[in-house]
Amino acid sequence: MPTVAQQLLRRKPTTPPGANEVHLKRSIGLFSLTMIGVGGTLGTGIFFILSQAVPVAGPAVIWSFVIGGVVAGLTALCYAEMAGAVPVSGSTYSYAYATLGEATAMGVGACLLLEYGVSTAAVAVGWSQYVNQLLQNLFGWQIPLQWSQAPEQGGIINIPAIIVIVLCSLLLIRGASESTTVNSVMVVIKIAVILFFCAVAFTGWNADHFHNFAPAGFAGIIGGAGIIFFSFVGLDAVSTAGDEAKNPKRNLPLAIIFALLIIVALYVLTCLAALGAQAPDKFKNQDAGLAAILQNIIGASWPGTIVAAGAIISIFSVTLVVLYGQTRILFAMSRDGMIPPIFAKVNPRTMTPIPNTVIVMVLTATLAAVIPIDFLAEMTSIGTLVAFIVVSLGVIILRVREPNLERGFRLPFGWTIPILSILGCIAIITQLRLITIEVFVIWTIVFLVFYWFYGRRHSELEVGHPVVPVDPDDSAPYVPYTTNVAQPTTGEVRRAAAERKTEDRG
Amino acid sequence: MTFLVGVNPGQRSASTLHLAAMLARSAGTDLVVAAIVPQTWPMTAGRSDAEWQRYTHQTANVVLDHAAAVLGDSVQAEYLLREASSARRGLLELVDERGCDLVVVGSSSAGPLGRIALGSESDALVHASHVPVAIAPRGFRTKDEARVGRVTAAYGGTDAAADLVIGAAGIAAQVGASLRIASFAVVPTVSGTSGTGLADEQRIIDEWASDIDRHAQQLIAEVSSLPRPPKTADTVIGMGHTWESAIEDVEWNADDVLVVGSSSLGPIARVFLGSHAAKVVRHSPVPVVVVPRRAAQELAEEAQA
Repeated sequence: MPTVAQQLLRRKPTTPPGANEVHLKRSIGLFSLTMIGVGGTLGTGIFFILSQAVPVAGPAVIWSFVIGGVVAGLTALCYAEMAGAVPVSGSTYSYAYATLGEATAMGVGACLLLEYGVSTAAVAVGWSQYVNQLLQNLFGWQIPLQWSQAPEQGGIINIPAIIVIVLCSLLLIRGASESTTVNSVMVVIKIAVILFFCAVAFTGWNADHFHNFAPAGFAGIIGGAGIIFFSFVGLDAVSTAGDEAKNPKRNLPLAIIFALLIIVALYVLTCLAALGAQAPDKFKNQDAGLAAILQNIIGASWPGTIVAAGAIISIFSVTLVVLYGQTRILFAMSRDGMIPPIFAKVNPRTMTPIPNTVIVMVLTATLAAVIPIDFLAEMTSIGTLVAFIVVSLGVIILRVREPNLERGFRLPFGWTIPILSILGCIAIITQLRLITIEVFVIWTIVFLVFYWFYGRRHSELEVGHPVVPVDPDDSAPYVPYTTNVAQPTTGEVRRAAAERKTEDRG
Repeated sequence: MTFLVGVNPGQRSASTLHLAAMLARSAGTDLVVAAIVPQTWPMTAGRSDAEWQRYTHQTANVVLDHAAAVLGDSVQAEYLLREASSARRGLLELVDERGCDLVVVGSSSAGPLGRIALGSESDALVHASHVPVAIAPRGFRTKDEARVGRVTAAYGGTDAAADLVIGAAGIAAQVGASLRIASFAVVPTVSGTSGTGLADEQRIIDEWASDIDRHAQQLIAEVSSLPRPPKTADTVIGMGHTWESAIEDVEWNADDVLVVGSSSLGPIARVFLGSHAAKVVRHSPVPVVVVPRRAAQELAEEAQA
């Protein structure tokens, strides 16, 4: 029997046996890498988060975006070193499992459920606001308040938010995939909508709106950063393309920095335009913020309609991507034995994890239906921030434990960047609302208790589950036969596999 | 010249491979066996699908190993793993890339044993492919070193169908098989209320059958005057109260292959299975090759050249 300490600290081997790692051509240049960063990050948060952040930070929300961006950039750099150091490509959860041990990996898992699952709910609520705005503009009718708002906001249940999550889940069950082309189109739409908003909003510029610049001082700015932080999730998409990047040592950090500059510039521009066009005290509880601001200053509905349509398209696409991420993270955890095996059940006909997707759909739709958006946004932010802390910590631990490991990209200035990144994340966390921190702590404890009673015993690394399989076939997933009429024996399949391997090498 | 075999990365199935091997041996070509797995997404934060990708690649490799075991040394084959947004798209890209002349796929595991059932992906493939698609019945097995003995062309009496017959004749000659032209008619069970009675119904059917027979005989004459005619050619008509019984009405051998054309409806070059063709495919007890219209014309031209 392993001791509890051994269980909590055991690490997954960084190169799992029998893993046929796919070696990809290094084909992505600096420009494409930068676009991946912009595409992965340029979010939909900007479409609705100002209504939550401006009441906290005032016009100084501009600085909230800059600070959030810097912290996100530092962690993305740490992520790039981590991704280049652990030889197996994996998600944040796998990196934590390989460097910091099983218990920490489960903690990260708890954070990722917030980063993906809860943010699905958050963007779905934002989507519902713009759907209502568009309905109002096109047909002069909108879904009644009680059916499109969370209970705390004076409604009963948010139906459009449920609809978007159900639609995306059905697409995922069918096996939809977001291609590079679709992603590029979405990036163009998002940038176009944001620039259109700025162009129109600047016509209503009023400098008086900036007089009381930071009503809540520095604490307000950091508090705002906590609310808007989830708008920067996705910057680490650049690092994960590292194994396909040309000259990663030079291009990865440059791409992260360029992508960040573009995103921060767009966000700050949007804040300036929005605040110039509307007094800070009007932001509170404003639904479909960007569209509403334009309609107020122009006095006509067409600009709002354009912004709403663009927002609906891009938020839908983001919901799809985030939901996909959530289901695949749960899949990975289930394969490691951390959560029940139902999450790893794959339908052989569609090649999608159907039960997993349905469970995620029900849970995220429930959150989106009844929880107000500001709380969802803060929960997403705290989950992301804690996951980022773990990654930065992992960089330091790896440097101490494996100083000579070949790294595709190594951060300059020793430990400075990971430490700054950790401090930045902690600073933002301290300014979140107490309720957010409390819920987060309870959630993590619940998750770890679950691990104690379930994952610890079912882990693939538990004694009795051999880590290095005696037989290479045993590490391969089980693939069923369609019929059992005269199938080759296991021995024959094994011989054929061995032959294929030698041919591949030859 | 090469044939592409699409294997399902989620299930090991020998029937597709048995058919592919039989066709490749007959035509003297090699095979490209491809498992198409879902592609990874470009923009997932924190690379959330890395483990998922590893899993799909592992399962696909298990399936390819199984395929290699089934095929053994009986035919030359190459094994590929591809990422694509759908199995259909992945296979069609490979067809263009490798210049394949035929795609071989299996039946859906939801269908009955010994019959053909198109799954959603193979159905989409049949409708989008510009090269012929061969479909194995579920649980299809051949003897070692089996070859195609007879090519049966389904004939419905249209020009497009005539092209198909000539094309099928060319294929039959190429693989050293004989040719058979088959037509099927569903004879309605008699309704006693119309007052016309059985005799009139029967007269209509007889008229149709003699028409078809005359056309078919002309085609046989055309086939025998080809530069490289198949070994033998004959015609057959199957009748029954249902499609199933009409198709069972003619005799079938284990080394038969049924060739059906796409609908003659409209100017589309792609396969559009007409209602009849779809029924023939569903009830066929032997492997079916669905030939898109344009491919049928090309095959006919080749045969006549």
